[in-house]
Amino acid sequence: MRHDPLHRVAVLTRHNTILRLRDPGHLISYLVMPMALMLVLKPLYGGSMTEGPTQAVTGMLVMFSVLSLSIVGTATLSERTWHTWDRLRATPARPIELLAGKAIPVFVILAVQQAILLAFGSAVVGMPVTGPVLLLAMAVAVWGFALLAIGTAVAALVRSQGELSAVCDVGAMAVSTLGGAFVPVAMMPPWAQAIAPASPGYWAVSMLQAAVRGDVAATLRPAGILAALGVVAGTAACVALSRGWGRSRLL
Amino acid sequence: MLKVTGLVKRFGATLALDGFSLEARAGEIVGLVGHNGAGKTTFAEVASGLVKPDEGQVTVGVPRAETGFAPQRLALYPSLTVRETLRLFGGLAGLRRRALARAIDEIAQSLMLTGFLDRHVGVLSGGQQRRAQAATAMLHRPALLMLDEPTAGADPETRKALLDAVAARAAEGAAVVYTTHYLPELADLGATLAVARAGRIIARGTAAELLGGLPGEVRLSMDDEEIRVTTTDPTATLAELLAGLDRPVRAIDVRRPSLDDLYRAVAHAA
Repeated sequence: MRHDPLHRVAVLTRHNTILRLRDPGHLISYLVMPMALMLVLKPLYGGSMTEGPTQAVTGMLVMFSVLSLSIVGTATLSERTWHTWDRLRATPARPIELLAGKAIPVFVILAVQQAILLAFGSAVVGMPVTGPVLLLAMAVAVWGFALLAIGTAVAALVRSQGELSAVCDVGAMAVSTLGGAFVPVAMMPPWAQAIAPASPGYWAVSMLQAAVRGDVAATLRPAGILAALGVVAGTAACVALSRGWGRSRLL
Repeated sequence: MLKVTGLVKRFGATLALDGFSLEARAGEIVGLVGHNGAGKTTFAEVASGLVKPDEGQVTVGVPRAETGFAPQRLALYPSLTVRETLRLFGGLAGLRRRALARAIDEIAQSLMLTGFLDRHVGVLSGGQQRRAQAATAMLHRPALLMLDEPTAGADPETRKALLDAVAARAAEGAAVVYTTHYLPELADLGATLAVARAGRIIARGTAAELLGGLPGEVRLSMDDEEIRVTTTDPTATLAELLAGLDRPVRAIDVRRPSLDDLYRAVAHAA
């Protein structure tokens, strides 16, 4: 028998990939729905602003990637429902390995979802991508990391699948609407504009739109804020999950 | 192999472990018995590293990869097949490729899972899931095996398969801590006994040591009468009763002191 962390992370990544692929419903719906909405909203945005296609694509991307928090949350909450997280903790795998094995497939799913939506937006909706692909990839990676960390932290805190659904649905609508995913922040009422920066969606929309037009400086600032948010949420999630839930906090 | 000393664990106002001490040596099966709430599962969780004790020491004489733990609750992925489940836990224990495939085949045969390897865990019966869970703890042939009520709710077939597999692991030199409410299982396993009560071990020894001096019962049934005598020497008592009878006996039943008697006696005395 050989014992090395990389092997265990590879085993866990494969395992979590199988779990995610066995339950692809959310991912499919969160790909199809934004594509349809981009096409529907494009004439509306196109008629009222110069960057209509970009608003339609990045807005729907942010809204449905926030809805994808339920994919992240379910990945964690299911372990709790099945009592498998503590079972994994009793194996030789360290908490950081367990978390890495769980995070990698979900991060890839989030990144692929965003990449597909951006490609669709560029090819079909007509979003002009003038910035370098690398900058866009960095923005997608940062937003995926922030979503992963927030979703895992939420799943570590909620007590049931119902609570997770409520937090994800209400949270996604609030975060994306307030963040300017539906209506550009500049067109919102003053009070909404004042509190918009409190929403991670605001920084995500700003970052993605800046990356699409190739504005490096305007991309990096929101990216830094989202990365910091991800680090805080991720740390909280790591601490909670490495302790497990015990028998007193079962679902 | 495993030595825990003076474990104390509180969950809020509940004192789950109160000076719990236990040792399991290589090749030994320790049968841990006790009422619900005696501290058996908390001990298993502490010994397996899931819960940190407030006080006390846990010494495990082998690397973590050479331990196996099957918790009391079923903890399996319903959407995985049994083979995928075993690949996961075998892989985490360090088994790879051919060694892993061979280990899966062996444990599947041992626990009667061969026909179910490619079925999803969620569609298996309770007994099959119990066997699959035990298999996750045993397939890498751990030197220390901890099974927390592995036969809870299991049918006789499942129970026999599990007991045979556990006995085989102990015969290979593994130390086994086997928690159960089914005391006859421990007799079948030839386990040494540890009786837990209120978070500590109150009796420890072989079955012969702990059962010596406990009363059994002799029962004679005649056509119109039944005689029951509680005695610490059923054989001598039976001989005396038969010598003094002048009527035909229809049935004789000699019940020697059992683990149930021990459990009741020790728990009552404590």
